[in-house]
Amino acid sequence: MAAKGGTTPATYSPCQTTGKNKPPLFKEDWIRPDARGFHQCRPAFFRTGAVNAASGSAYAEFGNTKVIVSVFGPRESKKAMMYSDSGRLNCNVSYTTFATPVRGQGSDHKEYSSMLHKALEGAIILESFPKTTVDVFALVLESSGSDLPVVISCASLALADAGILMYDLVASVSVSCLGKNLIIDPISEEENCQDGSIMITCMPSRYEITQLTVTGEWSTPKINEGMQLCLDACAKLAKIMRTCLKESASDAQDDSS
Amino acid sequence: MVGLSLGEQHFIQGGIAQDLRCDGRKRLTYRPIYVETGIIPQANGSARVRIGATDVIASVKAELGKPSFMQPDKGKVLIHIDCSSTAEPAFEGRGGEELSSELSTALQRCLLGAKSGAGAGIDRSSLVVVEGKICWDLYIDGLVVSSDGNLLDALSAAIKAALSNTGIPSVKVTAGASSDEQPEVDISDEEFLQFDTSGVPVIVTLTKIGRHYIVDATPEEESQMNSAVSISINRKGHICGITKRGGAGLDPSVVLDMVSVAKYVSEQLMNKLDSEIASAEAEDGS
Repeated sequence: MAAKGGTTPATYSPCQTTGKNKPPLFKEDWIRPDARGFHQCRPAFFRTGAVNAASGSAYAEFGNTKVIVSVFGPRESKKAMMYSDSGRLNCNVSYTTFATPVRGQGSDHKEYSSMLHKALEGAIILESFPKTTVDVFALVLESSGSDLPVVISCASLALADAGILMYDLVASVSVSCLGKNLIIDPISEEENCQDGSIMITCMPSRYEITQLTVTGEWSTPKINEGMQLCLDACAKLAKIMRTCLKESASDAQDDSS
Repeated sequence: MVGLSLGEQHFIQGGIAQDLRCDGRKRLTYRPIYVETGIIPQANGSARVRIGATDVIASVKAELGKPSFMQPDKGKVLIHIDCSSTAEPAFEGRGGEELSSELSTALQRCLLGAKSGAGAGIDRSSLVVVEGKICWDLYIDGLVVSSDGNLLDALSAAIKAALSNTGIPSVKVTAGASSDEQPEVDISDEEFLQFDTSGVPVIVTLTKIGRHYIVDATPEEESQMNSAVSISINRKGHICGITKRGGAGLDPSVVLDMVSVAKYVSEQLMNKLDSEIASAEAEDGS
């Protein structure tokens, strides 16, 4: 197709699809690139037991964002570490080289590992495994927006699958602000031109926020609205995660009987 | 790491519950803030901020660079924080790396705004010299010289002071008007443009201990925290960024309550800081 015209360049550049096409924000009838409603999340899919070698693992797919998380442990902490009566949590988030439109762009997200750690540590009962470490390794197979919220939700499911004691499942959702509109669960195109974002990580049954980040300029009523939107979505997401866990548990029971 | 006996822990917690902290402050009172500007001659702007024994230095360097392909109409701002091992032996080698990156991320979130550049404390469009060709790259470096709690607030104050001290040389485009050539520029040695810092927010960190929250926590108090929320607020009273530290969960209503408290505190802090910066500038100029 590209070779058709004499004026159009014959070379293929993947940048063109990601950078320039800003959606016309100020039109009233703006619709999202994937034709969702502003307050409609992408369909979420979860499956536990994705990796056999791990103590627990989960795979999550939100639209085109695909992540896999495996949990190892609790296993003995490294010898160099000092004694502690509570367990340790070690998190790492990495991207495949082909996750992003431009190869190897995933290394831009170095802070994700520590953010995943902070989001999870409040939910795990660390006292239940003294002297040991739980490793959480997340791999983003395909990045298409809202990567960190998907990683966090998937990681909590993997922890539950590994049988690590937790106060509650952790669900995470982000909201972007584009012009006057608040849109939930943004995709990459929307994230690239957002005017602000809120990411909330919470334990829905306890109604507690474990992690919260806000960027961009927000007025108090707007932040209120955004937080409420996130919290509602988190509650719904946790329900989906719970059904996934129940299904895998009943499957395991069927197999053993 | 601060080691406290059980008695000391109860003393701190009890004091905070009664609105009287160990150093005689109330819950929402800052320690005195001292600002010095123009302390690094090689930088375009610099400032040193002391809060209690916390001592931080921020420097701003401007270099000519090329705007990124995605945003040809905006300059670049890079923030990096370094935790010196002079502050604490634990920062030696790679020890300070985790804290450094945590502080840098929080400051980037609060000062640079969202991807589109909206809500940024630093107006990046003002850094452009020739659209798509030449812009100023602003390197903001923070150094923690001594750490006595509340690093993030101190760093944000230091950066605000350093930016208001920053003079960017005025630039004349001399040649290269054709579209595909890199234009030549002439950097003036005498004329400097003052940087507009009215939009730069301050960060207020509220540390939750027990059922109450306090500002400007000392390391002893920080060791007792359940969680801390750093809220950056600008002159207009708008929120420019929130970062949460500490693992414990927070009720959403508490977060909103913290936001309104931070708004109230930030006004006083900003006025205090502005007058400190003004007097420091006056002293620097004389």
